[in-house]
Amino acid sequence: MADKGNDPAAMWQSMIGEMEKGFNSFANQAMASPEFSKVMNQAGGVTAGAQKQLGEMMEKYLVSMNLPSREQMVSMAERIQGIEGQLNEIKAMLHQIHHNSLAPEGGHGTSRPPRTKRPPSEGEQK
Amino acid sequence: MNAPAGLDLTSIPERIQSEVQRAIQRSIKGVEYFASSGPSLGSTPKDILAVRGTMNLYHYRPMADEIYRVPILIVMATTNRGYILDLVPGQSFIEFLLKRGYDVYMLDWTAPKPEEKHLGMEDYVLDFIPDCVRRVQQDSGETDVTVIGYCFGGVLSLLYGSIFNDGPMKNLICFTTPIDFREMKLFSNFSDRRYFDVDRLVDSVGNVPPEMILSSFEMLRPASRAVGQVHLWENIWNDEYVKAYRMMDRWGTDTLPLAGEYFRTTTKDLMWDNKLYNGTMTVGGRAADIADIKVPILHAVAEHDHIVPYDAARHLIAKVGSSDKEEVMLKGGHVSVVAGANAIKRLWPKLDNWLGKRST
Repeated sequence: MADKGNDPAAMWQSMIGEMEKGFNSFANQAMASPEFSKVMNQAGGVTAGAQKQLGEMMEKYLVSMNLPSREQMVSMAERIQGIEGQLNEIKAMLHQIHHNSLAPEGGHGTSRPPRTKRPPSEGEQK
Repeated sequence: MNAPAGLDLTSIPERIQSEVQRAIQRSIKGVEYFASSGPSLGSTPKDILAVRGTMNLYHYRPMADEIYRVPILIVMATTNRGYILDLVPGQSFIEFLLKRGYDVYMLDWTAPKPEEKHLGMEDYVLDFIPDCVRRVQQDSGETDVTVIGYCFGGVLSLLYGSIFNDGPMKNLICFTTPIDFREMKLFSNFSDRRYFDVDRLVDSVGNVPPEMILSSFEMLRPASRAVGQVHLWENIWNDEYVKAYRMMDRWGTDTLPLAGEYFRTTTKDLMWDNKLYNGTMTVGGRAADIADIKVPILHAVAEHDHIVPYDAARHLIAKVGSSDKEEVMLKGGHVSVVAGANAIKRLWPKLDNWLGKRST
């Protein structure tokens, strides 16, 4: 077998690994500068403002086309989530009822294993 | 011509054959990759105990015949889904805990809705966590609860433990939890108060979109995503590699938006004023100084964590008021320290060994 120093696949892997490290390190140095923060946040601020304006324009356009807007779709999704939430609550209540029905009066969770476990002694540790 | 030193010419046909086979496998598996949806994650049997807005409380069904007295509540990071701790059978931290005899609950988060943009730090620390702790007490019938927090879930757990320092938290375990936010150098620079107008951002977008959170994580290692795809292509013949890649990739890109007010407080109080480190943090008007935490605490940090560098996490153990406290540094990165093959060998047994004797 070829040793790792002459194995083309290993050399390729190693080269990729080094490139990744080098690029990440270079980018991290560049991103640590205050100038980067300034430029990034200026661009981000412009994008957030533009997104908001575009969203408002689209909303008007969709209303004029008699199409549901994002807000209406979100509202629909929320109603579905609300229904899902209520189903989950019902499920949780059923679970609780089932849990209580298996427990003796005043008891907790006897359908579950007893809470008596002790840690293994040092010799038993895996 | 002589062969270069170390190169065995007789192995060349064997290597060519192996590479040709892999190339064929890549083509076949490559098609399979795009045609399939990947492994099913988070499938350990559980019951949903409560859903309230962004808060979800699960109880995992016990897998041992006998369990420890003290139940565990896992508090997940607000930016990511909890199934990172419940990948697939054999690689699930939850399953590991259940099989070792722990009673496990998880506080997991879903995306806050647009009208939940007002949720602030006080909702998380003074409402959601205490509510889940109460429900765990009620469901388990036990007063004591062990809390485990991952990343920012650790920060929330520290804040909770600082304020509710007279109980019922019995033990606290933090995974890769930052407290000195000056040392999160790049995040600190991205949110430089001279250039980052957090008020303008939150006021214009409401909840901070997941794309923005994901981009800021990816910017910490900008080449890694592309290189990851190169490695995927090279190893696409290897089912185990592809399975692991898909699990991590799916989770990594499944980022949650952050509630606007919560993000505003995180930026101002933690990133800018470093209040957790300085001991000046307040939540809803209540002092939250980690020196007030007195319960046994274990902090697991990762040697190669690029998200929470060690310098951002290392003061936690020194600053808490507990006498029973331990920091353990393990090989791995921010995610691989808690999930995947590394974690199975390193963190999980360490945690079991530490927690078992404190759970009776």
